[in-house]
Order: sequence, then structure tokens, then C-alpha cells
Amino acid sequence: MAQVPVQTIHRDPQLFYWILLPITVVMVLTGVLRHYASVLLQTAPKRLDQKALREQRSLLHGMSVRGNFHALSRSSFVARREALTTAYQSGAYLKDPERRGQPPANPMSDPDGMSGMMGMMKNQMAMIIPNTLIMSWINAFFSGYVIMKLPFPLTIKFKSMLQAGVATKDMDPRWMSSISWYFLCIFGLQSVFNFLLGDNNAASQMAQQMGQMGPQAGQMFGPGQDPDKQFLAEAENLAVIEHYSVLDGVEQRLLEGINI
Amino acid sequence: MAPSLLHPPSQLSPAAALQLSQQAPSVLQNSPSTINSSPLAALLPSSETPDLWIKYENLLLSCLRTGDDHAAHQCLERLVARFGNENVRVMALKGLVKEADSQNNGDLEKVLKEYDQILSDNNTNIPITKRRIALLRSMGRLSDAASSLVHLLGFSPTDAEAWSELADIYLVQGMYQQAIYAMEEVLVLAPNAWNAHSSFANTPCDDQVHARLGEMQYMAATAPGAASGTYEKSMVEALKRFSRSIELCDDYLRGYYGLKLVTKKLLKDAAKPAKDSEEIDFSLPDSKTIERLNELATVKLSEIIRRNTAQERGWRGYDKLEVAAARELLAEEASAAASIER
Repeated sequence: MAQVPVQTIHRDPQLFYWILLPITVVMVLTGVLRHYASVLLQTAPKRLDQKALREQRSLLHGMSVRGNFHALSRSSFVARREALTTAYQSGAYLKDPERRGQPPANPMSDPDGMSGMMGMMKNQMAMIIPNTLIMSWINAFFSGYVIMKLPFPLTIKFKSMLQAGVATKDMDPRWMSSISWYFLCIFGLQSVFNFLLGDNNAASQMAQQMGQMGPQAGQMFGPGQDPDKQFLAEAENLAVIEHYSVLDGVEQRLLEGINI
Repeated sequence: MAPSLLHPPSQLSPAAALQLSQQAPSVLQNSPSTINSSPLAALLPSSETPDLWIKYENLLLSCLRTGDDHAAHQCLERLVARFGNENVRVMALKGLVKEADSQNNGDLEKVLKEYDQILSDNNTNIPITKRRIALLRSMGRLSDAASSLVHLLGFSPTDAEAWSELADIYLVQGMYQQAIYAMEEVLVLAPNAWNAHSSFANTPCDDQVHARLGEMQYMAATAPGAASGTYEKSMVEALKRFSRSIELCDDYLRGYYGLKLVTKKLLKDAAKPAKDSEEIDFSLPDSKTIERLNELATVKLSEIIRRNTAQERGWRGYDKLEVAAARELLAEEASAAASIER
């Protein structure tokens, strides 16, 4: 295999001080700013009124009865099951019993759901706007030349990404332009932000995107859910439990377990 | 274990609480009196930690308990300065300090009115609701406290602390079945909890829910005027609960004490009527098992007493009163046995 001659490009060492460093500093500062902007934009979680609280906690109560039924004796469990099932099926715990059976309200018209969506919008905006600004800033000032050479080899596919704005066909993809440094900063500054702002910072958009992709945990009482259906399902779950108690034969276990 | 300011101090002995509250001047002096919460300050390494606020809160409680009102007010001021007057937890602490400052019943009534005022604005303010209930109870209005608790549990039935308090109030009033029901709720919500009841905190394992339930069942069974039909059921369940509490925690003195009491009583009225076991949750174990359980309890109790008296390593944690009660129980039985032989 013929040895590809090592490409050398003489660069002005000042590039480092006037491009690489400024881009990095600007990226770090925007991250910090974004963190505080999202802290300021955050709205306090909305206070639930008593009925909504009752709706949620009654469901949770049913779940814990279902989960820990073995701590009870049979009669106390049966009494609880009767009470809970009746209340669930009659909709006694519902926030507004009149709306039973109707399709769930459109989340857009629900003010609670709306505020949640506004919060998400705000976060998205706090991410998109600075990114757009910085990218256009970099493109306007620093495009068209390479600024550094990566210390590791890359395949040809990276050329279009790393050398955006430098249309030279034969150049090694290891040479990168300022816009590629910008992308590297976006993905690589997470640990810097962790160091500066603590673990739960809102500076890096990577973490937020991960969160959006993850499973929708905590959506149990979300706006799209029909609590009536949840109650009915829980009543069914309670009904099929075959009861046993942890107290069955406990004295035998005790006598066997402890030797005097 | 040395008392730490990072744990809630409600279970400490008076001496430990005093020790904590004596740390107050140094804690208050060593931490800055105002925390700058501006974004720039957060960039510096010496910013606030959650631990600091937990410390202030616990210090506040200990100081109130030992009568150091000055330090308590200082803690409260700092908490208010950081979290504002509208924070529910701070509101409850403020109420607590006000209650402590009250000189007479009239002042307490005033605090109660304030609580009512707060609750009429925001009826889901759970810390204030609980403060109000505690205040009602300490003013001796037990039935009011119980009905407020029932109302609280009506919209928040997953609150184990409230259920436990309700069980305690019912027990004081002698309403055993209700107390048992509330205690069972605690068990459902926290099946592995050791310490539902804070006043017995110095035993090796804090007061267990199972043992507590066993005690309630026993009280319900032996209470004068208890229905004869429920007697056997309660006794059996008491037996089972005590056994379970020992199973969970070896060498648990209250468990063995209860087991001893129940088995003794069951053996005494051995001529039990043969009942149809359809209605009963648990069938009574045969008399041989009961006898062996009784034996086990006796041996274990005397072992605990012996080792505790000798101050052996690992056996010192028992409450003095509980050990004394166990000794009395054993002595009583021994003398009874001696008199029968004679």
C-alpha cells in the first residue's frame, strides 16, 4: 500500500488565541447563562387543590394495599378491599365526578397541561436561540479555513461535518474548521458544566435531549390520563389478589428459627 | 451513637437534645448569617448546601426543646431569609416557635386561629394541618384532633405519619378497634418500618409496628367490656404479631414481653370453647406450641435481663424501665408457681 504523504499545512499560531479560545469561552459562558436563564424561567410547581390531591393519593393508597396485603390479616384485608373497590367503582374519589365516562379533555384546553407545555417550550427556546446565534456568529466570522489538526485519524465520511465551509476535496478529514470545533464544544462541555454548576444543571442540551428520549416516567397523573380508567383498573387488580398473610405459621417459624 | 444535627431530633433522649442545642452558638457563628443566593455566588466553591438547612431546622427543634429560644429565633430568621415566608415548611416552623413562645392558653388559641386562617387560604398545606392537629392534641382537645386527622387522611390517605398519630390518639381514648385499623394502615404503607412510634426510641430496634399492633390487640382483648366473640381472635392475632416482631428483630424485649403475657393468658384459660373456625382469620395454635412459645419467651427474657444487668457488650441498649418490667413479670410468675407448689 502506498504511503499517503503526510499533509502539512502551516497555520498561523495566532489562530489558537483568536479563534479556538474565543469559541470555547463563548460556549462555556452561554452554557452558564442558559442554566441561569432556565432557572429564572422555571415556574413553581402548581399547587394541587384538595380534590386532585385526594384523587392521586387514593390511587396510590390502593396500590400500597395491593403491594403490602400480606402484612394484614384476612379479614382486615377483605374489609379494605371491599371499601376501596366500591369507592373506585362508584368514582367517589374522582376530582369531578360529573365528568365520568366522557373522553379525557383535550390537553391543549386544560390550563394545567398548558403550563407544563409552556415550560417545555421555554426550555426548548433557551436552547435553540443561543445555538442559532452562535452558529451564525461562527459562520460569519471564522468560516473558510482550517484551524487545527485532530490527533486521531478519521474516515472520509467526517469530511462534510468537520470541514464545513472548506471545500477542498483532497484534504485529510483530520483537519478541522472552526464550525467543527463548535460542534465538539456542544457535545464535550458537559463535564465542565458539571464542575461549574453542580450535577443538576440545565446548561447542556445533551442531557435534556436524553431526558426527552427516556421513558415517560412520572406521567401517571399527566394531563392525558383518565383517572376513572385508572381507578377501575386498580379495582380489578385488587379483586384478583389471592390473600396470604405473613402471620401464617409465624410461631412455627419462630420456634424453628430460634434455638434456646 | 453521637447525636447528629443531620437527623431529625424528635427521637433523642433529653441529654442528647441538650448536647445538640449546646452546639447552637458554634453552628450559628461558623455559618454565614446570610446566604447570597445570586447566580455569581453559586459559581464560587463555598456556596450553600442542603445540609446546612437541615442543620438549621434540627437545631431549631432541639433548641426549642431545651428552652434556648434565642438560638431558635436565630435559626428561624435564617430559614425565613432564605426560603421566604410562604414556604410551607417554614410556615410550620414559624408556628412551632410561636407555640413555644406562648405563655398561656389564650396565646395558644391565637396561634390556632392563625393556623385556621392559613388553612382557609390554602387547604392543602399539610405541614400546617399537622401542626394544628398537634396543637389541638397538646391542648387536650383529643376528639377535635382525631376528627381533623380523619379529615386530613380523607384527602391524603398515604400519610403513614398521620395514620400513626391517629392510632395513638384512638389508643389514648380507648377506642381499640379504630386504633388497630389505623395501625394496620401504617403497616400497609410502610411494611418494613421499624420505628412508627417515636417515644420508645432507645431500644435496640425502635418500637415496631408489629409489636405495637400486638399490644393493641392484647389491650383490645383484655379490655373490660370487650365482646367475647372477638376475644379469641384478638388474642391469636396478638400472639402472631408479637411472634412476627421477634422474627424481624431478635432479642426484641417488648416482643418477648408481649409474647410471654399472651401465652401466659392463653395457657391460663386453656379450657377454650371449640369454635367454628370459619370466621376466624387465624386458628389458635395447639396448646403444646403455646407452651413452647411461653418457654421460649421466659428463657429469652431472663437472658436479656441477665446480660443487660451484667452490662455485656451489645446488650446495653435496652430501656431501664422495660427491663425492670420484664424482671417483675418473671418474678411474679415465679412466686405464683412457688405458691402453687406449696
